[in-house]
Amino acid sequence: MQEQLENLVSEAKEEIARASEPNDILNLKARYLGKKSLLNSLYTKMKDLSKEERPAFGNQLNQIRKQFEDMLTLRSTQIKEQSWQKSRGDMDASMPGYPLSRGSYHPLSIIRRQIDDVFLSMGFEIAEGNDIEDEFHNFDALNTPPDHPSRNLADTFYVEGGDLLRTQTSTVQIRVMENYKPPIRIISPGRCYRNDKPDPSHSPVFHQVEALVVDKNINMSHLQDTLQNFASIMFGEGVKSRIRPHFFPFTEPSAEMDISCVSCRGTGCRICKHSGWLEMGGAGMVDPAVFNTLGIDSEVYTGFAFGLGIERIAMLKYRIPDMRILFENDLRMLRQFRGEL
Amino acid sequence: MKVALSWLKRHLDLSGISDDLADLLTFAGIEVEGISEMPALGSTVIAAKVVSAEPVPKTDHLNLCKVDIGDADYPAKDENNLIQVICGAPNCHAGMMAILALPGTELKEYQIKKAKIRGIESHGMLCSERELGVSEYHGGIIELSEDIPIGVLADELFDFPDTVYDLEITPNRSDLLGYVGICRDLSAKLSRSLMPRKPVSFNVSDAELKLGLHNEARDLCPRYTARIIKGVKIGASPLWLKLALIKSGIRPINNVVDITNYVMLETGHPLHAFDYDKLSPKDDAQGYPDIVVRNAEDNEEFIALDGKIYHLDGSELVIADGKRISALAGVMGSQYSGISEQTVNIVLESAAFHAGTIRRCSYRHKLSTDSSYRFERDLSASFADRISDRATDLIIELAGGTVCGELYDSYPKQETDLILGVRPQRFELLIGYTLPGDKIRDILENLGFSFIQYGDFVPGPIQDIDQIYCHHAEEMKQGITEFSELEDCQHAHYYRVPAFRKDIVREVDMLEELARLAGYDQVPRRVELQHIMDRHAYRVERKATDWLVDWGSYETLNYSFCDPAQMIQLGYQEEDLDFVRLINPQSSNQSVMRISLIPQLLTNMVYNLNHAERDIKLFEMAKTYHPHKKGHIEKKRLSAIFTGKISDDYWQDGGKKIDFFWMKGCFTGLLSVLGISFSSVDCDAPYLIPGESFSYVSEGHLLGSFGRLRPDVLEAWGVDTGSLKQDVWILDFNLEPIIELCRNTSLVYQDIPRLPSVTRDLSFLLAERYGYAEIQQAILALDPDLINGVEVFDEYRSKQIPEGFRSLSLHVILQDQEKTLTDERVDRLMDSVQKTLASKYDITMR
Ligand SMILES: [Zn+2]
Repeated sequence: MQEQLENLVSEAKEEIARASEPNDILNLKARYLGKKSLLNSLYTKMKDLSKEERPAFGNQLNQIRKQFEDMLTLRSTQIKEQSWQKSRGDMDASMPGYPLSRGSYHPLSIIRRQIDDVFLSMGFEIAEGNDIEDEFHNFDALNTPPDHPSRNLADTFYVEGGDLLRTQTSTVQIRVMENYKPPIRIISPGRCYRNDKPDPSHSPVFHQVEALVVDKNINMSHLQDTLQNFASIMFGEGVKSRIRPHFFPFTEPSAEMDISCVSCRGTGCRICKHSGWLEMGGAGMVDPAVFNTLGIDSEVYTGFAFGLGIERIAMLKYRIPDMRILFENDLRMLRQFRGEL
Repeated sequence: MKVALSWLKRHLDLSGISDDLADLLTFAGIEVEGISEMPALGSTVIAAKVVSAEPVPKTDHLNLCKVDIGDADYPAKDENNLIQVICGAPNCHAGMMAILALPGTELKEYQIKKAKIRGIESHGMLCSERELGVSEYHGGIIELSEDIPIGVLADELFDFPDTVYDLEITPNRSDLLGYVGICRDLSAKLSRSLMPRKPVSFNVSDAELKLGLHNEARDLCPRYTARIIKGVKIGASPLWLKLALIKSGIRPINNVVDITNYVMLETGHPLHAFDYDKLSPKDDAQGYPDIVVRNAEDNEEFIALDGKIYHLDGSELVIADGKRISALAGVMGSQYSGISEQTVNIVLESAAFHAGTIRRCSYRHKLSTDSSYRFERDLSASFADRISDRATDLIIELAGGTVCGELYDSYPKQETDLILGVRPQRFELLIGYTLPGDKIRDILENLGFSFIQYGDFVPGPIQDIDQIYCHHAEEMKQGITEFSELEDCQHAHYYRVPAFRKDIVREVDMLEELARLAGYDQVPRRVELQHIMDRHAYRVERKATDWLVDWGSYETLNYSFCDPAQMIQLGYQEEDLDFVRLINPQSSNQSVMRISLIPQLLTNMVYNLNHAERDIKLFEMAKTYHPHKKGHIEKKRLSAIFTGKISDDYWQDGGKKIDFFWMKGCFTGLLSVLGISFSSVDCDAPYLIPGESFSYVSEGHLLGSFGRLRPDVLEAWGVDTGSLKQDVWILDFNLEPIIELCRNTSLVYQDIPRLPSVTRDLSFLLAERYGYAEIQQAILALDPDLINGVEVFDEYRSKQIPEGFRSLSLHVILQDQEKTLTDERVDRLMDSVQKTLASKYDITMR
């Protein structure tokens, strides 16, 4: 009987190894484990054995049964995997994937969207105004003296009829303060114009974003925090901001805002002219004279404002060496910004 | 918890505000879960005497009653003022005083009419409590006491009209569990004082009967008082007392039990009465019974007054006599020791129990009673004696008897009142407006707080008020109460917190009381957002540019000025053009503000063609500038120029070229995702080729156009069209009307159809003179409810197809919201589709 068993096992091993289709597995299962299988008939022969022999023989049969089951399962899995490989055919998986069909925003738009998101998350609203403005909103209301050189044709574009192209988006701040009572918390991004010939750092058309906060109990510490938040969100954690005294006609005290150099992180390099700091724009507390012109009680309300050049931020952030590149709209430049968030 | 307006009125003057009481409660922080109105019933519902009641033959429950209505006006009454009424109530009997609703009465659920029941005339109805709308009880008709005169209006007897409020009391407010507590809150809200309570007037006799009181669970029973009243006469309660219970949803039982319940409704503090003579002593030789407050023993048995047996586990607090359990403390009394008609001497319990223990006991044995509901909320022990006095007074008044000796009172640890400071400046800081000092004092004093003094603020409960520095101390010592600098006093106000307000332990708790009762509607709104920004326009602008970027396009930015000559090159006539002109342009080709974005996009394309780019998709979103009567106007536009292949070169397909339909999809797709419905019209842009361009309009607004650029325009920009050999396409969106047209659209979710849709295909030859759009519309119009969509999936022309025809293949998608579509129904519909198309458009099916 032992011999019979050994033959059965070796025969089954061969047959199972030869199976090549799911159907073969089914047939073999019937042959070796089914009701009419030899193994099954051996179970019935147990009763012919003595009581002492029965347990050992029973164990042996069970082990063989288990062995058959395992072999069949393994072979069945192998057959399935082979069939997937067959259906895949020849394929060079190293060929390139489907190309990105998405375009991109202009880098200045990307910066503008990032700035919008920073300030929207800080509870600011976005206010837009017209590019063509009058002298009152562009100069007078901002405390600019009547004979100030910035009002010249050499500095400012004028259109027929006496209006001008705004030289900064502060015009929007004035219009908002004319129409809304404090608290006011806005940024005003948009196009500005100055009569400069295009060169690496000038453009007759450029983009600015200005911020204005007017409320009770607003002081310079709020300005400090807003600037620092802006610096670290736009340029990364670790970038510091600072303000230093300066002069602007519509703020008092006035300040120039710097951030620590994004290239050398403050140790000094060519970009920051070895100072460790980069100039970002003007800032300050709104001059009471501006409030008074607009009928806001400067004894009750205080506020801060600052302005940033979007071109400058883009050029610093992406190390774009010449402002004119931004207005060429060369696809080889634009394509680089496909992945920028 | 149910409270009746009529009872609130006995404690607080509610004149002028009864109608708004629900609002008043809600805004005092007491949630009104339900309101049940009990309207006035009028002159036809009266007290009447049942003079006789004879069973109606061949019925098992109907009685023919003769009812005396006295002077009441009713045509069918006889000379003895009697009328005939059929009554089916089991308790109807001769001699009883009842409530009669005469014909013509409108009750909540019934309209009373003269009726014939079993052939016998009946003039009205004797009413149950439910029929009268006073409670849900329907176990019999109302039986009034005999001293009530015939003819008195039910309105007068029942205090109609009345309103019952079902209140939700939050778990922290144990002081609101009775009429007085509710009224106290309202009094602070209304700045009206509570009405004074009737002083207690009972006399105390000698202690003829005695009691042994043993508080063996002092942690769980901070106070236990017991009073013996001897010689009471148990009977029915007077109508007013019954009504007080009934309107709050409690069944009257007998005068003593009703009084304990009534005092509970009034004060929020449950009481219990035992039959003195049923209580046993620990030691029979003692001669008088014992009351033992203790924990239950494990597996001890308790038979409740409803006869149910409870097996206790030892965690329960019980009130026992010398032998067995007389009550589950604060939850339910026992059967044997309850007040019965035979009861003569009673023990009145007024106690305080540990809230958690009562809550666990109630939860474990699924026993929720009016008593456990209140004890679960941590009642103060301070008032147990005064509440006992109030009940005693009523018992003596309504059930007679005499008080035996002084109150037994186990009160091991006297509760002390908290002293807290509250700062008016802190109110302003937290709540946002100034509440004057006298208003603070007014609210808090109406709530039961008592003002002590001013002083420097010290947080938390004050142990020794004398240690608090007060700059008014000297004035106060002299008895001055009108302080000169009260208005701008920066000091805290110190108050003694009433013992029933266990929820007030910090300054901030008092600030909450002040804010709540001064009214949340007084809290100003601090504006943070001015709504300066047009968020909708901002989102549409972002979505529109996202759309073009997703279609593979790159954003450009160009100067705002341009060369007026370029507009002529686009094909416009000089006299049609109107520019905002610069006075000091940098050059003649930048002399005007641009009125179109297209010339510069063309320049951008040519720039890139010159740099060996062939597949170019560029767009710009910017403003154009136009002279206007009032100066200038600036309009947002979104324009694009496309040429070459749809996507980058790819090794698997050669790169499909941008064509008319791809452009159409790009243009109309944006309008569709923004939810704008639109229609196409011929495009009149001079730089686009007619027949290969469309303009789109909606509600009279021009939304924009797209189409193929004329090759001669390209040549004007220096492009050699002979060598370029690819079409150039223009998209031009007028953003302002697009923003406005989708401004107020709101997405509404449509239920997903539960039933599957059926798709049938249709292939046919169509003469070239018919457009697909009209075929699609014609099919959809056949059965708009059933035909959910028509989609074209194939179009071709070939030699096999006759000249002047094309083959079209469509999916017709059918969907019924209600029932599964049968093949038969679908066949019938498709048949009619074919017939319609054949007759209207002369199609040949394939
Ligand atoms: Zn540097």
